[in-house]
Amino acid sequence: MSANALRQPKKANEALMRSVGCDPVPDDKKVEAAIQHIDEFRKKVRSFVMAMESCVKCGLCAENCHTYLGTKDPYNIPANRADLIRKVYKRYFTVQGRLFGGLVGAEELTLEMLEKWYSYFYQCSECRRCGHTCPFGIDTCEVTMVGRQILYWLGIGPQLHTATAGAILKTGNHMGLTKAGIEDTLEFLAEEIKDDYGIDVEFPVDKPESDILYIPSSADFMLNPGTLKGAAMFFKYVGANWTMTSRMTEAGNFGYLMDQNRIQRELVSRLFEEAVKLGVKKIVWGECGHGWRAAKMYIPTMSDYVGSRRIPITHIHDEVAALIEAGKLKLDPTRNSRKVTLHDPCNYVRACGHCDVMRTVIRAVTTDFVEMTPYKEQNFCCGGGSGILFDDPDMYQYRIQASQKKADQVRATGAEILCAPCSICKAQLYPMVKEHKLPVEVHGLIDLVGNALVWD
Amino acid sequence: MEVFVGQILPYITVAIFLGGITWRIWRWMIPRIVHNITLSPFPSNWVEAVMHPVVQLLTMWNVLKFDRGLWIGAFLLHFSLINILGGHVTGFYWVGEHFHVWAPNLVTLHQSKLASDFLGTVFGWLLFAAILILLYRRFAVEKVKLVSATSDYLHLFLLLTIVSIGNWMRNVRDFSVPYQVARDVLAGLFTFNPVPLPDNPFFLYHFLFVQILMIIFPFSKLMHTFGMFWERWIVNRPYREAPRGLPGAQIQP
Repeated sequence: MSANALRQPKKANEALMRSVGCDPVPDDKKVEAAIQHIDEFRKKVRSFVMAMESCVKCGLCAENCHTYLGTKDPYNIPANRADLIRKVYKRYFTVQGRLFGGLVGAEELTLEMLEKWYSYFYQCSECRRCGHTCPFGIDTCEVTMVGRQILYWLGIGPQLHTATAGAILKTGNHMGLTKAGIEDTLEFLAEEIKDDYGIDVEFPVDKPESDILYIPSSADFMLNPGTLKGAAMFFKYVGANWTMTSRMTEAGNFGYLMDQNRIQRELVSRLFEEAVKLGVKKIVWGECGHGWRAAKMYIPTMSDYVGSRRIPITHIHDEVAALIEAGKLKLDPTRNSRKVTLHDPCNYVRACGHCDVMRTVIRAVTTDFVEMTPYKEQNFCCGGGSGILFDDPDMYQYRIQASQKKADQVRATGAEILCAPCSICKAQLYPMVKEHKLPVEVHGLIDLVGNALVWD
Repeated sequence: MEVFVGQILPYITVAIFLGGITWRIWRWMIPRIVHNITLSPFPSNWVEAVMHPVVQLLTMWNVLKFDRGLWIGAFLLHFSLINILGGHVTGFYWVGEHFHVWAPNLVTLHQSKLASDFLGTVFGWLLFAAILILLYRRFAVEKVKLVSATSDYLHLFLLLTIVSIGNWMRNVRDFSVPYQVARDVLAGLFTFNPVPLPDNPFFLYHFLFVQILMIIFPFSKLMHTFGMFWERWIVNRPYREAPRGLPGAQIQP
């Protein structure tokens, strides 16, 4: 297949790559550099090596991946996606690949192969359903991450991810919102809450001597304001001394999706700079799937700040669920009486142990909750996971194809509200609902909590 | 050729087999588990974390749950293979008398030999059938065909050859090899005092192909035998949740 026929998102230009700290490699040096990077990874990252060396090609993962189900493209079978690097790995780093290349499916690395990497590693949503279903637990997400990291080092990355990472480095959030813009929006949200619920809610930003640092998803300022309003109402309700920080108004981490070595790490450092500066005792995370995984699972091994060992981080769902379990929240579920179903964000359920927490909350704040099938850790990705929310026509079409499985699941429930407590899921599900003509509204989970709180 | 395959090659084979496995595992141990990428729901302690792969191993649980057709072939293959390997060890060591040796009051010598013959025959045919099922999948099921390399077919053909010759010797009386003869060959090798192979081409080729399998074992996907545990060690580890409750808040759980 020629490179032109590949489905690829628009690439970032060299200036943009440089602006986020990448030093692009010229084409004639790319292959050599990529092999060197694979060599580095195989000596450093065991999850990568085991994914390279343990697959028996049983084919079980194929029909457990929504991208293959939606596109029927052979390279979207997780085993084959990983094989795009595995073939090269075999050729250069295994005895069998060096001696009997063709027989064991080893291949030389070429620029054409790198184009394939770019195409298929940015069709993977890093949802880990293949890892969950694999008999050995081989996590193709790890291979995708290595693939994307190497491509980034070579100077190849999507316009969307690179620009988004650039925005967060510059402004502290993916949407590129300034502090003034944020405060403006928050003022407006406070007025809406006053109008709808008759209560005065504050949205503190950079408030010194706060106890709690809340990290919202920046999409909540614009696309999903209900989630941000719900969080503020919850903090007000429990009487918490909380704040947000203008330098880190982003629960997501596009570094995690493209450049874990530098951008993800830098954002983690920035988070703790702010936490330490504000003197907070706890960090509470907003609704963002990949961001929560990046925070919960990666910070302990990634942060150089001693604060990261001392300041606990929880998800806002954890806190709401704990209070519901203790019977400390007065909630009126009849305010959310339409039939609701829950989309389990992949990072929550397969990487963060978040299944039961979400159910504790949703059962307490709604009257008619139905599960979709399959659900919990077996759930399928929305099709936008790992930030592949590309708008160029070909990739948009791909997103709609990849969400076919999800659309079928939602339709079968007959729900009117699709609760998707993750910003990327929400951003993917809005067009999915439109294109697949589903009669549902998409909401976050904290939206429903805010709506159900009973104020005395 | 008989001398080489029966008395020289086995030492080279075992050296490559054990050395190769050690080398591969050595290579796996060099890189670190960098971040905690455990799959959730998390095991809450190490006992649960260790039990998870054990249950997976004994039942092939994920295969059963997510691909029933594959489970029939794969479980049958591994279950019969483990019994046949066990049968080769015990059957030759105790020349078919092992059931009697283990439970002298329950099983007579004669019954033990009958049981050994019966189990060997049954598992031999089951293994043969299982390989055919898996081969059929590789050739006929689209998604499996799409992920297969030439070596994936060759591994199955090699196994099929070994099992076919084994079944031939077991089921065709004229070509069968008594336990005692096979025991002498193996005992000779283990005591570094190799004896000539019996004059039976089927035994020669069975023995040769098994050695080829052992030689390619460390350099192939057959290493999943060990790889599974190394992979699970990464993706199934315990995790302790951070304590809940908002410091300074008026309402606490």
